[in-house]
Amino acid sequence: MNVLIILAFMLCMAMVMIGGKKGAISFLSLFINFLVLLLTVFMMSNSDNDPIIWAIIACVIISCVNLFFINGINSTTVAAFLSTVITMIVLLLFIFIMTDLTMINGFGEEEIHELTMFSLYIGIDFLELAAVVIIISTIGAITDIAISITSPMREVHIHNPGISRRELVHAGFSIGRDLLGTSTNTLFFAFFGSYLGLLIWFKDLSYSLGDIINSKVFSAEMITILCAGIGIALVIPIASWITAYLLTRKSGAVK
Amino acid sequence: MKRLVKNMTAMQLSIYAVLLFSFIGSMYFINFNYGFYDDPIVKITEATTEQTQEISDMHGNEDALFTQQLQGDIQNGEFKGKTIELNNEYSLSGANDYEYHVGQDIFVFIDGAAEDGSALAGTIDNVKRDKYVVALTWIFIFVLLIIGKKQGFYSIVSLALNAVILSYALDIYIQTENSSLLLISSISILLFTITSLLLVNGFNEKTYAAIVSTMLGVFVALLLAYFAIWTSGGNGLNYEEMQFLSRPYEVIFMAGLFIGSLGAVMDVGITMSASIFTLHEKNPDISIEAMKTSGIEIGKDIMGTMTNILFFVYISGSIPMLLLYLSNGATWPFTFSINLSLEIARALAGGLGIVLTIPIGIYTSIFFIKRKRAAQ
Repeated sequence: MNVLIILAFMLCMAMVMIGGKKGAISFLSLFINFLVLLLTVFMMSNSDNDPIIWAIIACVIISCVNLFFINGINSTTVAAFLSTVITMIVLLLFIFIMTDLTMINGFGEEEIHELTMFSLYIGIDFLELAAVVIIISTIGAITDIAISITSPMREVHIHNPGISRRELVHAGFSIGRDLLGTSTNTLFFAFFGSYLGLLIWFKDLSYSLGDIINSKVFSAEMITILCAGIGIALVIPIASWITAYLLTRKSGAVK
Repeated sequence: MKRLVKNMTAMQLSIYAVLLFSFIGSMYFINFNYGFYDDPIVKITEATTEQTQEISDMHGNEDALFTQQLQGDIQNGEFKGKTIELNNEYSLSGANDYEYHVGQDIFVFIDGAAEDGSALAGTIDNVKRDKYVVALTWIFIFVLLIIGKKQGFYSIVSLALNAVILSYALDIYIQTENSSLLLISSISILLFTITSLLLVNGFNEKTYAAIVSTMLGVFVALLLAYFAIWTSGGNGLNYEEMQFLSRPYEVIFMAGLFIGSLGAVMDVGITMSASIFTLHEKNPDISIEAMKTSGIEIGKDIMGTMTNILFFVYISGSIPMLLLYLSNGATWPFTFSINLSLEIARALAGGLGIVLTIPIGIYTSIFFIKRKRAAQ
């Protein structure tokens, strides 16, 4: 028996037992997202395709799956979708500038020894890939915060139909701020966990502080963690503004 | 502006002042810290690309190789102020090479005088990235403070604290012989949970319930993951990508798995306890059954997105390696089993922790509320 199959089976059972139909849909969405990622990798493996464009397409599909497939199409999920896409594009631009400046493209020192049998000249732009990796790693968290802001904002609007756009934006900000701590924690620990091996490796080599901070692997990790944190913070104003605009525009049209 | 200053307390003002000073100070330092490095640093003053060569490998991948002539000034050490000439070769794709530009700082080895004797010659060692990492850290701090205000501040503090705990725990693991990584990470997990949840929520019953359910959730998931590995004999897990470690990588993988899922499990733990305590506060006579039903409804809403967050964090990092394997003619099943098995196992086991924390969180919160009710 394969470990992955046993774990997948246990997860599926747990999700269905606790979440019922919605649990089953959630498990299915995980599976669909996996297929979307595979398809993206397949498209990127053709060097004529631009990785950045395919990453944007993948993120759009993934946020559709996470928002519309799990929660249905309604004004909340549409607002969350728009916020996710805008945040993602702004963040991607920022990440691309950072990866370009820091030159964290390509493989790390720990990987490169194992790769002597491979041809490294594969015609795919690794600088773009570095940005792609960061944006895809945060897309799950960005959609999560977007929906967690837009759906209570709609509740606020339903309960106070006369609320002004400014007050609504304010409500969105305060909802978002409450999520900030736990969401950044979720991402930080996820990155800490996946970098644990590398951190131990660094400590074993007893690098100096200067060696560590300038090394490609460590700065790539730092940049990923910090950009993810910035992305989580950025989605708060973007989602608040967009949702407030959409909600008040609609009520204005009715009047 | 005047009103803004007036509305701030002395505490806030001093925090802003300290921040501003450390920002300016550290940015100044990091841009002129050449003297603190032992290795020679060169600032590139001239970069010309001389040769271009189209290449294609046996798998039909097409790329181009360029040769670059660089000239720069040495910024530190005994050759400070001297001019140096460097050669660089880079490819269009850049899997393990870089194209350099004028103004960049790089670490070099000095090999001696150049052929014509007018300048030094050397080889490139590494890029100087410190100022960008520090600048980005400041952007992160400012964005979180401006958008998140107090909560942003707590997130930064919690990140810094947890990073220090992790670093200290790893030091203990590395310096102590025969130390058990699982024991060390269990203690760290307890510390991480307590510091993070106390920082976010303060000292109250809600936080205690969240801490207990997080710990239970993580350890139940750990047991189930062990069970899965034990029944299958570890079949399906490929540790190839951890081969660079000179330590038992199975244990490191397991420890990473649990630290990795901890944040998400904590998030679920605090969401469950906060919402159940809110139900109890709004209506102190609410029945246990009603609390369970509402808890499950909330749990259903968060389980999908939470498992997805972990999934993307873990899988995304493998994309460049997957592309390298596929472009080198490796088959899809081989590529996956080598590069994705650990990441998928992490995502699944983390997901299991998230989902199981939902009922655990509900029952733990109810236990705390029952105790409170009995005491009254």
